[in-house]
Amino acid sequence: MVEKRDLMVIGGGPGGYHAALRAAQLGQQVTLIEQGEIGGACLNEGCIPSKILTHFASEFRKQGHLQKMGMVMGETSIDLARLKSYREEKIQGLRAGVEGLLRSGGVEVMKGAASFLSENRIGIENGHQFSLFEFKQAIVAIGGKMEYPSRISMKSPFVLTEREALTMTEIPEELIVSGHDYVAIEIAAAYAALGSAVTLLMEGRLPFDQAIEREMKRLLKKQKVSVTTEVTILSVSDDGGVEVDYESPTGTRQVNGTHLVVCGKSGADLTCAGLDRLQLECEEGKIKVDGEGRTSIPGVWAIGDVTPGPGLAIKAIKEGKVAAEAIAGKTGEMDLEWLPAIVHMDPPVACAGWTEEEAKDRGYDVVCSEYPFRANGFAALKEETDGMIKIVSEKGTSLILGIHMIGPGAVELISTGVLGLEMAARAEDFTFPLYPHPSSNEALMEALEELTGHAVHLQRRKKKAVR
Amino acid sequence: MEVKLHDIGEGMTEATINAFLVGVGEQVRADQPLVEVQTDKMTAEIPAPANGIIKGFSVKEGDTIRVGETVLIMGAGKESVAPKRTSSATAQSTRILASPYTRKLARDAGIPLEKVRGSGPAGRILDEDIQSHLLVEPLPKETPERTEADSIPFRGRRKQIASKMVRSVRTIPHCTHFEEIDVTELLAWKRDVTDVSMGAFFIKALSVCLKEFPIFNGRLDEEQECVHLQHAHHIGVAVDTEEGLIVPVIRHVEEKTLKGIQKELKALTNKALDHTLTAKEATGGTFTVSNVGPLGGSIGATPIINEPEVALVSFHKTKKRPMVNEADEIVIRSIMNVSMSFDHRVADGGTAVRFTNRLRDFIEKPGILLMEMI
Ligand SMILES: Cc1cc2nc3c(=O)[nH]c(=O)nc-3n(C[C@H](O)[C@H](O)[C@H](O)COP(=O)(O)OP(=O)(O)OC[C@H]3O[C@@H](n4cnc5c(N)ncnc54)[C@H](O)[C@@H]3O)c2cc1C
Repeated sequence: MVEKRDLMVIGGGPGGYHAALRAAQLGQQVTLIEQGEIGGACLNEGCIPSKILTHFASEFRKQGHLQKMGMVMGETSIDLARLKSYREEKIQGLRAGVEGLLRSGGVEVMKGAASFLSENRIGIENGHQFSLFEFKQAIVAIGGKMEYPSRISMKSPFVLTEREALTMTEIPEELIVSGHDYVAIEIAAAYAALGSAVTLLMEGRLPFDQAIEREMKRLLKKQKVSVTTEVTILSVSDDGGVEVDYESPTGTRQVNGTHLVVCGKSGADLTCAGLDRLQLECEEGKIKVDGEGRTSIPGVWAIGDVTPGPGLAIKAIKEGKVAAEAIAGKTGEMDLEWLPAIVHMDPPVACAGWTEEEAKDRGYDVVCSEYPFRANGFAALKEETDGMIKIVSEKGTSLILGIHMIGPGAVELISTGVLGLEMAARAEDFTFPLYPHPSSNEALMEALEELTGHAVHLQRRKKKAVR
Repeated sequence: MEVKLHDIGEGMTEATINAFLVGVGEQVRADQPLVEVQTDKMTAEIPAPANGIIKGFSVKEGDTIRVGETVLIMGAGKESVAPKRTSSATAQSTRILASPYTRKLARDAGIPLEKVRGSGPAGRILDEDIQSHLLVEPLPKETPERTEADSIPFRGRRKQIASKMVRSVRTIPHCTHFEEIDVTELLAWKRDVTDVSMGAFFIKALSVCLKEFPIFNGRLDEEQECVHLQHAHHIGVAVDTEEGLIVPVIRHVEEKTLKGIQKELKALTNKALDHTLTAKEATGGTFTVSNVGPLGGSIGATPIINEPEVALVSFHKTKKRPMVNEADEIVIRSIMNVSMSFDHRVADGGTAVRFTNRLRDFIEKPGILLMEMI
């Protein structure tokens, strides 16, 4: 017997559950199918557990400062078993929250593995049960698949994936992290803060404005992370630990460690969920979609990591909402131009918009300013004076083209920057409003004032005549 | 103020947008035609409900919309198109400067932002720019995507014809009766009467036959269990146009002269071809005739009854053929086939045969028709 459904969402990760809830808000009848746990990679293995680790690490680093201020805490040590149960409790709590939202939102949730049988039919397998559904619309939100370099054997007990690295039961003595993006930096910085000797081997350059890159490298070095960029790993041997041979612009080297963490690249598995039965048009090995999530097959939509673009929950969430709205007859649009890039190291990195180089490549006549957190009163009282903010703007119009920062509160602060970029703000639009005092926000304001040399808290050798 | 598609003809439910007769930003007077729409039967114009200015269209040419849907938005009274401020933007910027809200306005209105000039500071596109863009430039027409197979639209009139045909064949038990008629004498008569066409003659002849067989000018009322025999002979004439079949109606044929019918036939055919028929001219038929003879080629086909009528007659191609006359000689005559479909619930084959026999008599001996004329 074939049951009929209006909208079926396959996958309960951030993309899928946002799509389901938004569609339900807009009056659609929604069925969400999840074969594992609601929350997907983000809640269960990715964003949330990784941020529990980075948060734990940065709080741990603060203890010296807290004691200095007069907090008496006794001897500090790390109990990873406690961290584990804390993590599980938090994840379960968040998951229960999402499940509750789906229930109260009227979304029908089904357990099982969904598989397309044709362009309008889905089969759901749950243990020995198999049920057949005919749908009007379906959203494919099955997430991505991590790909690891084939020359590294992931089977060794000393070689871990990035997800495994988040739940280690012991602090590794000597950790080598190989990666290409923020995930690797976060793991490296966190374990360094918790006491590991860390070597970070980055595949490319750090994907940030050069001023930020410089400051990041300086701070990582200060935190005892040895960073090498533009690395190609040649071989990994495993003998009660790991020995990694690699090549970098300075030549061929070897590094030894107790563990190696390999951060994969986000790809898509188009053979699962019966996708190979559909004649879906693909791009970069992922499902090709238009600005609202439509695939080449009418009635079939795709969102999140299974579609081209960066594998980020930020993107999956937005795509989920846009597709749901389009299905409900509203117009929406995905625009990743001002997608913020975030690294939860300590202090965090947050950037949006174009780097100085990118802006110049696009033909802009560029003016930049740099502002150190050292000059911010609130950062000073917290003794979080590392880091800086860089603004990229257009000469003449003072149109803001890029905002890059590493420093306390950067992840929260960047929202103001993203909003400004979306609004096509100019410097005045940022400097006119009132900013809470004392706060890190003032650092952003002064960084913008500094475009015209007005930042009050910057000492100048010779007073520049400022207009 | 929203201008909507209202019911302009008998039971119409949808219409296709043929053309906009006004542009965005144009001042219009009350009752001025704004949009030309096309139903299965006719072309009609939607007039302005009041004086005002056209703000924008909610539909595109070629769209098929239902009764009650909004066609366009009008602003009240006199409004002037906002003057364009010049932008100070440097041309090189690859960034489109507009806030997310403004971008949504454009998206909802279907305007590509690249086409809009920003009048805000540093060339930012403001909400007003979207509105004034709508005023000066009508919405872009969609260019159909080229798919692998060539496709032609199945909507508007074609779709309406299709559903009507299906409904007719599903509800009416069609029965078709064929006959051949010798038109040699009619052709000779026609040489003298140059200002009357064969078509006009057929229509008049049919009307005379309908007087004798009013059942074929009836309308079945199943609920009341009766057939209403209608006195007026409003004869629909099937006209083959590029977009398909249209049936303008010559009203009260029973009261009209051959010349009068001829004049009206010509005028209505031209209007059908130009899609300028009014609602009245394309509705209310009681019997339909289709003259496919001039197209050449058809010796017979089953006409589908123009529901809720009872019958329909088709005149096919005339062809010279050897015939055997009463003296058993082989003679060359001009022969035309006729097919008549009728509702078998209402009439039987015998009645249909008698009807076409009478019609054949008039056509074979045009003089006899004279006797029956008013
Ligand atoms: C270590 C790590 C840290 C990360 N940190 C961040 C971060 O800080 N910020 C950020 O934005 N992103 C982060 N990400 C990325 C983020 O987790 C993903 O981009 C996001 O989860 C993608 O969401 P999704 O909905 O597309 O897919 P997923 O979250 O992968 O969800 C897909 C779901 O579909 C289900 N599924 C698959 N196939 C079927 C089927 N056939 N039938 C039924 N169900 C099916 C799966 O079980 C899964 O639950 C991180 C990822 C990792 C690995």
